Amino acid sequence: MNAESPILRTVARYAIPLTMLVALRIFFQGHDLPGGGFIAGVLLAAAGAIHLLANGVGRAAGIRWWRVSVVGLLVSVSNGIWPMLIGHPYMDNEFLHLGSFHLPTATFFDLGVMLIVVGTLMTIFVELSLEKR
Amino acid sequence: MAPHSTIPSNVLPAALALPFAVAALAALLGRRLGAVAGWIVAAAAAGSFLLLLDLPGHDAVASFRVPWLPEIGVDFALRADPFGRFFALLVSGVGFFVALYAISYMADGDERRMPRFWGALAAFMGAMLGIALSDDLLLLFLFWEITSLSSFLLIGHHDDEPAARAGALLALQVTALGGLVLAVGVLLVAQVTGTFSISGIAGDPARIQALLDSPLAPGALGCILVGVFTKSAQFPFHFWLPRAMVAPTPVSAYLHAATMVKAGPFLLGRMLPVFGQLPMWTPVLATVGLVTMLLGAWKAFRETDLKAILARTTGSTLGFLTLLYGFGAAEQDALQMLNHALYKGALFLVAGIVDHHAHTRDLRRLGGLRRELPLPFLAAVLAGLSMAGVPPLLGFLVKESFYDELLHSDAVSGFALGRGFVVAACVLANVFVAAVAAKFVIGTFLGERREGASRGGHHAPHAHVDDGARPAGPPLWVSPLALALGALALGLLGATDFTGHLAEAIASRRSHPFHVSLIPTPGLPLWLSMGGMAMAVALYLARGRMGRIPDLVETHHRPDRLWERMVASLAVLGEEVSMRWQNGSLRRYLAATLLSVPVLAGLALARAGLSHRDVVVSLSELPWFGLFLCVLLGIATMIAVTATTRLQASIATTTVGFIVSMLFVVYRSPDILLTQILIETVSTIFVLLVLLFMPGFPRRDMSAPGHLGAIAVATVFSLVVTLLLLLSMTPGLRENANIAVRPGGLLSLALEKGGGANAVNVIIVDIRSLDTNGEITVLVAVGLCVYALLRARRARSEGGAGA
Repeated sequence: MNAESPILRTVARYAIPLTMLVALRIFFQGHDLPGGGFIAGVLLAAAGAIHLLANGVGRAAGIRWWRVSVVGLLVSVSNGIWPMLIGHPYMDNEFLHLGSFHLPTATFFDLGVMLIVVGTLMTIFVELSLEKR
Repeated sequence: MAPHSTIPSNVLPAALALPFAVAALAALLGRRLGAVAGWIVAAAAAGSFLLLLDLPGHDAVASFRVPWLPEIGVDFALRADPFGRFFALLVSGVGFFVALYAISYMADGDERRMPRFWGALAAFMGAMLGIALSDDLLLLFLFWEITSLSSFLLIGHHDDEPAARAGALLALQVTALGGLVLAVGVLLVAQVTGTFSISGIAGDPARIQALLDSPLAPGALGCILVGVFTKSAQFPFHFWLPRAMVAPTPVSAYLHAATMVKAGPFLLGRMLPVFGQLPMWTPVLATVGLVTMLLGAWKAFRETDLKAILARTTGSTLGFLTLLYGFGAAEQDALQMLNHALYKGALFLVAGIVDHHAHTRDLRRLGGLRRELPLPFLAAVLAGLSMAGVPPLLGFLVKESFYDELLHSDAVSGFALGRGFVVAACVLANVFVAAVAAKFVIGTFLGERREGASRGGHHAPHAHVDDGARPAGPPLWVSPLALALGALALGLLGATDFTGHLAEAIASRRSHPFHVSLIPTPGLPLWLSMGGMAMAVALYLARGRMGRIPDLVETHHRPDRLWERMVASLAVLGEEVSMRWQNGSLRRYLAATLLSVPVLAGLALARAGLSHRDVVVSLSELPWFGLFLCVLLGIATMIAVTATTRLQASIATTTVGFIVSMLFVVYRSPDILLTQILIETVSTIFVLLVLLFMPGFPRRDMSAPGHLGAIAVATVFSLVVTLLLLLSMTPGLRENANIAVRPGGLLSLALEKGGGANAVNVIIVDIRSLDTNGEITVLVAVGLCVYALLRARRARSEGGAGA
């Protein structure tokens, strides 16, 4: 899709980083406030879609997005597996206490979810954009 | 059974692991190893044989046991009782000779297939050892299935030939399906007795009694028998064995004569002490055994292909073994198996040599090969004599003792058809088998050399290269001659009662002292034997006249074709059903989904005793702008429904989505609001991306009744969902129904266990993370599928444009 709209490109230059920042924020607040990995992933994919629409598919197609989703699945599953190494059940979650900062290990699972959502949505966006009209 | 002391032994798992390790080695490094792979497999067989031979003797039983699935009481339990140890020795011993033979025999085959061949052969040997040594029913089942799978690979070795593929598939379908039924039987037995341990059941009279008294017993035995009959090609599952003769000859010798098909009788021997007293045991086994025995003998006499002859007589012998077990006459079952493995293995290997040499296996084209193949001729004569039951070969001893058994067993007189009938049938089968042995040996090696069979003449499908080929291993005659000499040696040793002791030591069950001797004792068994021999000679001489009798058995309705038609019609049925259900009409899928909601919800409501009368709603609670949004929602929906272009419809549905998001603002549900807005955005992008690929709109293929039906479905669905929503908001019901807000519900659980206030997210990533795990896996698979499908389509269209 080659919109080649200067207005859209200019907006995209600011909108994309802003969207990604919001996505990051939403990802981390997901534990206590509305948000989480899924929403953050959709938001990131929306930023990717803006990029696609504004700048064409060329650069986005250079990334193998399906690999992102596979990496995400590996992150999620390995987060489930490591408790088994210390005799806990699969997907058992702990809290990591780093000083005053508490990080539930479920965060890594959520990170995997986010990567999968981004990877899958971007795969579909890119592949559909590459289809011949 | 004499009580044996049990001693733990690590030799058993070692003997079992050796072939599997070699299988992995051969499969992975096979290309680089070349012919060395065959030597390694032979060495593994010899190694397992020696390890098992070196186990402690008669008064102690080696065993090995580690918990495997302790939750359901399954152990990785091995036990080398005399019968099991004998079978394991048979498997590894014959395996050694077959591997040795195959090194030379397969040397001219396709190199690319050899890693698979050696890997599958070694894995098969390991699995057979596993069947022999397992002391756990589930473990035995596991090895049972491994033999089915590896034999599939071995039978289908020549995978470029349709007949080989079909034969392998047929064998796999029958034996693997039978294996699954066996699994059901095994589970039933374990259910009743409370243990999977074979020795634990067979050694405990209380457990056996409980099993026999249980109403499940006939079902369990029936399932086990289906497994046994399919594996050992018993009627009515006998048809896969002749078709499996497309396998390379060493495979036929090993799987279809010496070992795999004997797994069935072996399991019968294991089950005899357990189920032997069940009333159905004798009639079922005796009938099936009798039919298989006579059918195989008759068919063998009619065949002209060397391997087909051997396959049919194998079926006959296996029927004979089944019959034996049916009468509980298991005193010399091991001797029977040993005898058959020796002579039939030798004859198969000789058939392979003949095939290689003359490029045909057809008796009508063979003859006079004794001068060209003197040593295979010797092996064939010895094996043939043993098959016919001529002294001083092992076969004679086995036949004598069997007649003796048959005449004295109590179970035979209890059988409905009577002792006389059974004895007559057995003599008849033996007559045919002896005549077939004569036909095999004389037809191949004696008489005149026929030029039709000369080199360069007719090419049998599996003789790939002429025999000027370089042997990579020992000469081909070594293995068959060794096996045939084994039959001779054991027969001669029988004069010193050695064979009798052997049989006594290894039989699965002994009830009275067992005696065989080479010096014939006058009596009915001897007369039966001699009379049978005379009849066999007469039958052989009259073979030409017999051949003119039309064969009416299984010529018009061949059971293997019937089976294949059955499987094919199953596929057709599956296609029919899926074409009806999955016909590609999204409208129909949607209707099915939308209709199942009211049905399921209606059932749930009926069970809870709820209906629309329980709804208490006061509209005054709703803020006025909420109602305003609802009106907007209605207008947008109407626009979507009546849209005339796809763009119009997609804009309208997006509008609907955003208005719904506004409702979430009104009712203060930020979490869902966020999700809804983003999903709307992303799906609008999707629609825009695919809009150009969509067909024309609106499609005018919907009739007036179709429209009415769609309206009806939509109305029912909306009404039921509305009802559900209203019920969930009704005071009194809300606190009960909502698993989130009730005490100890998900909301408090999220805070306590997950440490997060956002219950939705904590549920997704922590409390129900296993569900999410499944969902994200599906998501990844969807992405990969989209990628693969679109890429493949693009590559094809570009390739097509380029060409």
